[in-house]
Amino acid sequence: MSAVSIAAQTLDPVRYEIFAHRLWVVGEEGRIALQRVSASPIVVQGGECMQSFYTPDGRMTLACSGHLRFAAATSDAIRKIVEWFGESPGFQDGDQIFFNDPFVAGSHTYDQMVIKPIFYDGRLVAWTASSSHTADTGGVLRGAATEIYHEGIRILGLKVVEGGVFRNDVCKTIVEQCRDPHYVELDLRSRIAGNNVSARRFLELLERFGPEFVEAACLKMIDDSARLARSKLRSLPDGTWTSRMYGMGIRSATPYEIVCRMTKRADELHFDLTGTSPQLSDDQNSTLPSSLAHIALALTNMLFWDVPWSDGKMEPVRVNIPEGTILNCRFPAACGGAPRVGQILVSAVFECVAKMLYAGGRHEDVNAGWQGLWYEGGPGFFYGGHTRDGIPVPQGLYDIHGGGFGANPLRDGVDSGGHANIPAGGISDVEIIELQYPLLYFTRSHTPNGPGYGTYRGGAGTHRVCLVYGSKDLSVNYRPYSGIPTGGFGLFGGYPVGGGGVRAAYRTDPGKIRARLAGGAYPTSPREVLDGGWGEVLHPPSGRNRLPLEEWWILSDFAQSGGGFGDPLERDPNAVARDVQNGIYTRWAAETFFGVVLDTRGEAEHQKTEARRRAGREERLRAARPVAETPPRADFAEGEVLHVPHAALEVVGGSAGAVWRCKRCRRSLGDARENYKHRALRRVERLDEVSEFPLPSKEPFSGEYHEYLCPGCGTLLQVDVYCPPVGGESVLWDIALKF
Amino acid sequence: MAQEQFTIGIDIGGTFTDIVLVSAAGTVHMSKAATTPADPSEGVFDALERGARQLHTDLRGLLGMTVRITHGSTVATNALLTRSGARVGLITTRGFEDTPFIMRAIGRVDGLSEEEVRHVAWLTKPEPLVRRSLVRGVTERIDVRGEIVVPLQMADVERAIVELIDEHHVEALGVCLLNAWANPVHEEHIRKVVEARHPADRLYSVYSHRLARVAGEYARMNTVLVDCFVGPRVHTYLRRLETELRRRGFEGRFLIMQGNGGLTTRELCTPVATLQSGPAGGMLAAAYMAGVLGHRRVLTTDMGGTSFDVGVYADGYWQYAEEPVFNRFRILQPTMDVESVGAGGGTIARVNPEVGRLQVGPESAGADPAPACYGRGGTEPTVTDADVALGIIDPNYFLGGAQRLDHERATAALQRVAVPLGMGPVEAADGIHRIINAKMADLIRRQMIRSGYLPEEFVLYAFGGAGPVHAAGFARDLGIKMIYVFPSSPVFSAFGIAAADVRHTRMMTCRYPLPVDPARLNEPLAALEDELSDVMKREGFAPGDVVLRRFASVRFRRQAVGVDVELPWARFDSRTVHDLIALFGRKYEELYGTGAGNVEVGVEVGALRVDAIGPVPKPTLRPRPPAAEPPAAKGRRALYLEGRFEEAPVFEWTHLHPGHRIGGPAVVESEFTTVLVPPGAAGALDEHGNLVLQLM
Repeated sequence: MSAVSIAAQTLDPVRYEIFAHRLWVVGEEGRIALQRVSASPIVVQGGECMQSFYTPDGRMTLACSGHLRFAAATSDAIRKIVEWFGESPGFQDGDQIFFNDPFVAGSHTYDQMVIKPIFYDGRLVAWTASSSHTADTGGVLRGAATEIYHEGIRILGLKVVEGGVFRNDVCKTIVEQCRDPHYVELDLRSRIAGNNVSARRFLELLERFGPEFVEAACLKMIDDSARLARSKLRSLPDGTWTSRMYGMGIRSATPYEIVCRMTKRADELHFDLTGTSPQLSDDQNSTLPSSLAHIALALTNMLFWDVPWSDGKMEPVRVNIPEGTILNCRFPAACGGAPRVGQILVSAVFECVAKMLYAGGRHEDVNAGWQGLWYEGGPGFFYGGHTRDGIPVPQGLYDIHGGGFGANPLRDGVDSGGHANIPAGGISDVEIIELQYPLLYFTRSHTPNGPGYGTYRGGAGTHRVCLVYGSKDLSVNYRPYSGIPTGGFGLFGGYPVGGGGVRAAYRTDPGKIRARLAGGAYPTSPREVLDGGWGEVLHPPSGRNRLPLEEWWILSDFAQSGGGFGDPLERDPNAVARDVQNGIYTRWAAETFFGVVLDTRGEAEHQKTEARRRAGREERLRAARPVAETPPRADFAEGEVLHVPHAALEVVGGSAGAVWRCKRCRRSLGDARENYKHRALRRVERLDEVSEFPLPSKEPFSGEYHEYLCPGCGTLLQVDVYCPPVGGESVLWDIALKF
Repeated sequence: MAQEQFTIGIDIGGTFTDIVLVSAAGTVHMSKAATTPADPSEGVFDALERGARQLHTDLRGLLGMTVRITHGSTVATNALLTRSGARVGLITTRGFEDTPFIMRAIGRVDGLSEEEVRHVAWLTKPEPLVRRSLVRGVTERIDVRGEIVVPLQMADVERAIVELIDEHHVEALGVCLLNAWANPVHEEHIRKVVEARHPADRLYSVYSHRLARVAGEYARMNTVLVDCFVGPRVHTYLRRLETELRRRGFEGRFLIMQGNGGLTTRELCTPVATLQSGPAGGMLAAAYMAGVLGHRRVLTTDMGGTSFDVGVYADGYWQYAEEPVFNRFRILQPTMDVESVGAGGGTIARVNPEVGRLQVGPESAGADPAPACYGRGGTEPTVTDADVALGIIDPNYFLGGAQRLDHERATAALQRVAVPLGMGPVEAADGIHRIINAKMADLIRRQMIRSGYLPEEFVLYAFGGAGPVHAAGFARDLGIKMIYVFPSSPVFSAFGIAAADVRHTRMMTCRYPLPVDPARLNEPLAALEDELSDVMKREGFAPGDVVLRRFASVRFRRQAVGVDVELPWARFDSRTVHDLIALFGRKYEELYGTGAGNVEVGVEVGALRVDAIGPVPKPTLRPRPPAAEPPAAKGRRALYLEGRFEEAPVFEWTHLHPGHRIGGPAVVESEFTTVLVPPGAAGALDEHGNLVLQLM
């Protein structure tokens, strides 16, 4: 322990407690000031902003944040501006510096911060910073960038307030680069307001507690977080967990993959992202700071949720990401899509952490995936153009903040639970959206067949069907269909997502559609749009990354859903019946994936269901093939249960050493130090066969499900998504406990 | 005595049912009885009988002298908390049947504390108030300008009514269509059909535009659902209570307290509007006292066993919450913005062994197991245990001695945190006391900053059982110089309810960039006022007796949150439309500082609101004669203050008289309140018997 941290650990506990809570409230005051001034709905209602404090050398003491991504990387911005500009022009009392370079901090140029040094008695004692998401940076509209130079303003540190004086020249120069300068200016001013409040109040803390105490207490806050994080890690078993996720670029026709290998030893956690795809030529790239921020975000949600947020939280975590990959792109790669890439990384981390937590017996904290999309591609949610009144359309429409959460070992995932990045956020009311965007919704409802199947199902995301209404120049970003589920995972036999939802634009006949609306009809599902002759799917020639939308066209879209937990054939049939009644699943899904037979009133027929499920397990075993070249031996394992790292498998110890065993039929799946999948059976399922709809582009799906089964009883143990065109290790070793 | 005329204020709280009896001559009597949740009217009559005894009469005698009974109840709150409400059916726009379950996703976190929200993997949504199988969609669509895009299909309406009412026998029917705030015509069509077949006295039915002409379908739908859920129960309760009161000789006016800070008759009462009526009563009492005492800016704090309520009354206004959350459901009703945070006498202190932190809250021992000193099985130290160990609370005079507290148990519990920190139990108690005071100061400050005010400009009114023990501690931290504790503070909400006016509020979303054609603003204003004048007529007020206050919610274009500006004119003309921009600019700078906003970026009106107030005669407090003798302490006890025990005098409040001055350290106590006068502070009794603490 260093001398400083000894001083920190011997602080008066009562004063320290008072200080820690007060510092949090000071940050909250800054954040409230920021939110009150901001013009951005995503800041004010979505909570995408942060106020934070740093030691003089740029280590974060505390973050008050509605958006977890921001909290992770601002320290780097402070250290960098000190390195670059500490001498010239230097920093004085009353300065505030604008910064938005994602190669240093933040995810993309839309993540903007204003940094303020705090001086006391002429000495730099701390930094405060406010960050928020401003959806307009100028540049090309979303989807078209191939280099960061296309992505609008990128400011590496400009004093927008100098010695306490607001610099109109700097402000005007920045905001006039954007399409909606008024909006950008209010956002910029809101960050300044946040800093003003928190810096003023931080000085009061210095007056009251004295600079020595404040310095020691700030160090203790960092130290406390590190101790708590390490203590949590010590309470969990050692091992290595591996996950693989797919995502989709804008220009390439094949998906990319993210491979995450997480090793936990004692009180340290190591992530190795080797095997992740090379960076892309479009904006679906993540800089190293953005990737680190997303790993921090994932750990904050799932593992360190009860650890105060300072840089100490990440102290026991090491990360290795090879340069030139999609998660550590080289300058000057475009990176506007970094949050989506980041979300897929978050899922990859979630999966490893969820399996580690399950092995550690912390079942209440285990969630299957939150970010699963049945496919990506088609029209996105970044708009351009003008409303009926000639006002620029706000770009992003964040219905994705209404995604479903993953299932838990004890209950279903939360339907329309929110978004991983913003634990306290939500989606806007349709009525508010219609006041701001030239759209008229026909439905916003839970996506039928959206959530992943499982003993406990995933939470349903929301889907929408809407009309382009009142704009003559609307456009939206567009990309090729991935044809593979992205960003989701099921746990221990649960599916990563369901096969419902359609994301497409439909060309309509304006005269006809107006007559039909006036006649008292409108479509509330993609099926009605297609089968009811409302319009036809529009799939522009490849290479188009913006799609002009004409008034009276129709859009359908769906948000991510949660992954399932456990074999769906084990789900309570009455729960499936209720799902069908509530529109979460169709009868088709109930029969096909859950093996539940419903009567005419929609109630489960238990005997028929039992028979159907028996047949389903037999059918699985018939269709499956051994993974290893030599078929698994039919031996049964006995012995004391040593570990339960899986919902359907346990590790038992006997004379032959530790082996995997099926909980249901006690069949052995081999040496516990090896991959249980090699002793399992595998059924490969084409995604075309499990999808409710074909891809809107009519292209074939590019992925497949690899379903691993207990060779004895046919229990589903794991569902992996695999993309043959991408290749890579086909039998992923997901759980490797260390004995 | 026989000529006396009384106003009775009744406030049913979670533990006690409070009443105040205010005579026309200005005398105030109060009484309390235990709340009886199964049938709350039992507690009401119990308290009334006790009150009658104080006046040396019986219930019939008291009711015969009573001209007005004003009543705030928790019937709606309890129905919501215990999920014992009506079987609700909902009709909405086809395609939006999932809205009450999607909950804008934010329903997963609404109404939860920061600490609870952090546990994302475990958090779920609340059980909805309507079953998905009892929701029906009808084909229709209206756009944000109020234009009909798809006409309402009456066949859908017919089918929905038959299925929900005739087949599923719902007890309450809610109707909330998309953009009904912009044009209610489709909801009105449905209302006519429903009411023609199922008259209001047979089926409780609610229509969203009649509760809130405000954009935002999730909160508006919740308002409908909450009203449906609690409505039949609230109406039954109120009808029965009034009948009972009449049967026992009451012939005056029976008025119901609403969360907007005003009264209404039973017939015009919207049940969802009665939520928050208790805290609203506290705010009204504060507003009344602020008027009597001439205070411009008042901060109210109500600290009880488990919660700490903070409210702001400034320049003649209280604030309404944007979308207040009740039991995890956000609604749209003009509701007093009184924020409740989890800090009270029952707040638990723990030590985190990993980092040696002494953490006070957010967990609470509540009423079960209660603080350790209650002897009901609680073993963890709480704020009340600390206050007992410090000598501030007399264990033998808690609730006037009705609840004996156990000093030894308190000390034993405190050892649990003292030992790992290497402290003594009293030292730990002092730490807990200081930490909770600092945290409350922090939370007050955060709440005030949200409203745009600075605490040091305020006078503090402290009420609630635990409030005056801690008030000096947190007030000093906030830079507040003056604290008032009222003799009526044990029944402060009931007192405020007795001092309320009849009040109705109407609000309408209307988004116009400024400057706008004045007619566009005048039209909705006139519509709101027409509706209000009709309501006030039914409340028994002639148009000339009604006071109207008009507000515009103004903001910069694209901002989501507006600033309420009171309009100094009844109608807009081309000049005042511009004046509104200037008024907004001034108010905005006042709240957020010079340069925070810039009116050049464009300003818009987001909503208009009109408050109609029907004045009800107020009690006039009669000053009490000054003391002839100096104050006499009833005893002395050792208080642990500033690091050591010190003997300090203890005064019985009821024995103090106007003009009495008490130097700190001292304790002033009465049956329901203990006031700590810390060193360096001076207490004095003013002419109304209020205890005024002056902090140096």
